[in-house]
Amino acid sequence: MSENFDAIIVGMGSTGGILAEQLTKAGLKVLGLDKGQDYTEEDFAIKQDEIRYYQRGAIVAGVNVDPVTWRASDKDTARILPWSAGALGNDEPLYGLPSIGTGGGTLHWGAAAYRFREADFRMKSAIAERFGADALPEGSTLADWPIRYGDLEPYYDRVEYEQGISGLGNTGGVTPEGGNPFEPPRSRDYPMPPVTQGPGDVPFVAATKRMGLHPFRQPLAINSQEYKGRPACVNCGFCHGYPCHVKAKSTTQVTSVPAAKATGNLDLRPLSRVLRINRTTDGKRATGVSYLDSTGTYREATADTVILTAYSLENVRLLLLSDINSNGQVGQHFMTHNFGWFTSILPEPTNPFLGTFNASSAVDDFTSELVPNNDLGVLWGSPIISVVGDLQPIEAYHNMDPRTRKWGLDLKHWLRDNYTHMHRMYSQTTNFPYARHYADLDPTIKDRWGQPALRITHDWDDHDANSVTLMGRYKEKIAREMGAKDYWMDSPRPPYHLSTHDVGVHRMGEDPTKSVTDIYGQVHECEGLYAIGGGQFVSYGGYNPNQTIQALAYFSAEHLLKKLGVDGAHMGVLRAS
Amino acid sequence: MASKFVLDFPLMFLNREEAAVIDALVGQIIPSEPGSPGAREAGVTEYIDKALAGFLRELQPVYRSGLIALAEFTAGITEGRFHDLADGQQEEVVRQLAELSERDPSDFAGQFFRIVREHTVQGFFGDPAYGGNRELVGWELVGFPGAQWGYTATQMAPDFNTRTIPMLTIKDLYSRIGGAQ
Repeated sequence: MSENFDAIIVGMGSTGGILAEQLTKAGLKVLGLDKGQDYTEEDFAIKQDEIRYYQRGAIVAGVNVDPVTWRASDKDTARILPWSAGALGNDEPLYGLPSIGTGGGTLHWGAAAYRFREADFRMKSAIAERFGADALPEGSTLADWPIRYGDLEPYYDRVEYEQGISGLGNTGGVTPEGGNPFEPPRSRDYPMPPVTQGPGDVPFVAATKRMGLHPFRQPLAINSQEYKGRPACVNCGFCHGYPCHVKAKSTTQVTSVPAAKATGNLDLRPLSRVLRINRTTDGKRATGVSYLDSTGTYREATADTVILTAYSLENVRLLLLSDINSNGQVGQHFMTHNFGWFTSILPEPTNPFLGTFNASSAVDDFTSELVPNNDLGVLWGSPIISVVGDLQPIEAYHNMDPRTRKWGLDLKHWLRDNYTHMHRMYSQTTNFPYARHYADLDPTIKDRWGQPALRITHDWDDHDANSVTLMGRYKEKIAREMGAKDYWMDSPRPPYHLSTHDVGVHRMGEDPTKSVTDIYGQVHECEGLYAIGGGQFVSYGGYNPNQTIQALAYFSAEHLLKKLGVDGAHMGVLRAS
Repeated sequence: MASKFVLDFPLMFLNREEAAVIDALVGQIIPSEPGSPGAREAGVTEYIDKALAGFLRELQPVYRSGLIALAEFTAGITEGRFHDLADGQQEEVVRQLAELSERDPSDFAGQFFRIVREHTVQGFFGDPAYGGNRELVGWELVGFPGAQWGYTATQMAPDFNTRTIPMLTIKDLYSRIGGAQ
């Protein structure tokens, strides 16, 4: 006995929330399924709790429920994420699968909202033009995107205005004070100015300016003033890794999902775990999904349109569990970010508990195609980002100087003397995709429902490590210019291999033999089945992925409405909500 | 010898002797000084006991085995139970244990030390609702104002003395927003 809907959306997070809003507003009856809870404002009324959210991972499923295994290469046996599954297993939202429940990853994200650069969409060509066709590392499966920046610009704009992003944009070719001279062209400014700057950012801005760099205030999906009925950020300092208690963070839990609910067309079923995508007997059309409801009861639902908007890796797992991988491309082209964490102790107080993580500036002087010629063979650069807020004491302990003895008076005095002077920087360097880095199903480890775990095969390559080293040189120059008393950086080959920025695993492309979906996320081999999100990325520069993921969601939604013949008058028109 | 452990809370998982050993160990990880409380004054042992009875219950066998491993490790160095040793002797045991944990990450006694250290930091700096950080001594030490509703632009300015902000806990925030609606 199954129920029928116009569309089924699997995952009510960053992407799924947007799809749900667009489809329900057009009058379609949508079933929304999410493994997690349907959160309300009351759930996060008070959340200033480092133990609950950062140490115990209250809004992530965690590896006990959703096991993911990792191995460095085909020669190894994969283990459940060794960097987060041990007895020390600090469920850092950063190094596993992101939050579940309404809002998904946008519940806990640091809200850095970047448009990719024009060159990021043609990375392969741009590298060949500059460094020669043979410059790419051996065996890389890098390709240009089938769409260009100009195709996505209107949708980037929609994310900024519909979800709510604060920042300083260049309009009419003019860069405002604190704006980014290197940002890609935009049709209009951000709807809000930046949030209040954290004190630790002041020395970063002064130092980078003295060095002739161009620091700009980071665009953030956080309200700096009241926007669409939601208040401004109150700078609580429990933001990155935490839900927002005042609804100032732009998460689909407070933007798109409520809008979809208000139409009366969304049947949202939380605590529901999709097991399989169902298809016609010839496998050519999607017919619906099988799932376990919140009581553990097996159910089926049917729809001609099934949209996978779970996390990129979880989309892959669902495709593989459903045996949808006829061209062998599902799970290939895995790419992630290596953050190159760099911590300094500054002479002046930075009070790193004030405000959000990214209430700060970055420099784009070395980003993507702007990477300087270098002796390390680095082909693509990254922003260098100043991190100033959200550093509570336990996390500060995890960021300690590795040369300090971590017990006794050494430990106690180090934290006493340095906590309020800590400043961090990070970069997000490219990893090129290779056939040897992929996601598939683990042959032995299963979850508690008997379904195979997802297995990641990935290791850091020389180009990855060299990129971190190169960016580390710039960070070191900035730290010295800031007058840092002490500084240290992460290994260029860090212990983690997942970053919540994992992408590329259901690549979009025009050639059905070399990709999983078309530009709208429609899975080539199965009519009516969509996989939308970071999994569609074809290459990966140095920016946070989410604004591009959400731009793709709007892009796909518009296509779907046209295709389903319900292209409503509201499309592309902002309505006051 | 180091000062005796005073049991001033009801145990939920550990027994009295185990609690005394844990208390001595956490006291070596974040020591007490005159005028500057450490893990023992912060009630870290209460945090650990409560956590093991609840959220961390899967680590119960690790703690039970770890206490045995610590006793054996101590016996290899000196006479007497760990919590009966003089301060300096306890420190020497921990010095060797910490070195072992760096040298051989797979050694169980060293692993146990790392786990207890992680929980010591949690108990010292976590919200007092979890049983540790009594009198907010952890936050006081480092200058963290705790569970604030938010900060003003004035407080965010580089020259603002944040030590003047009254520290708040989760409980304080609930009294601000009220109980059940």
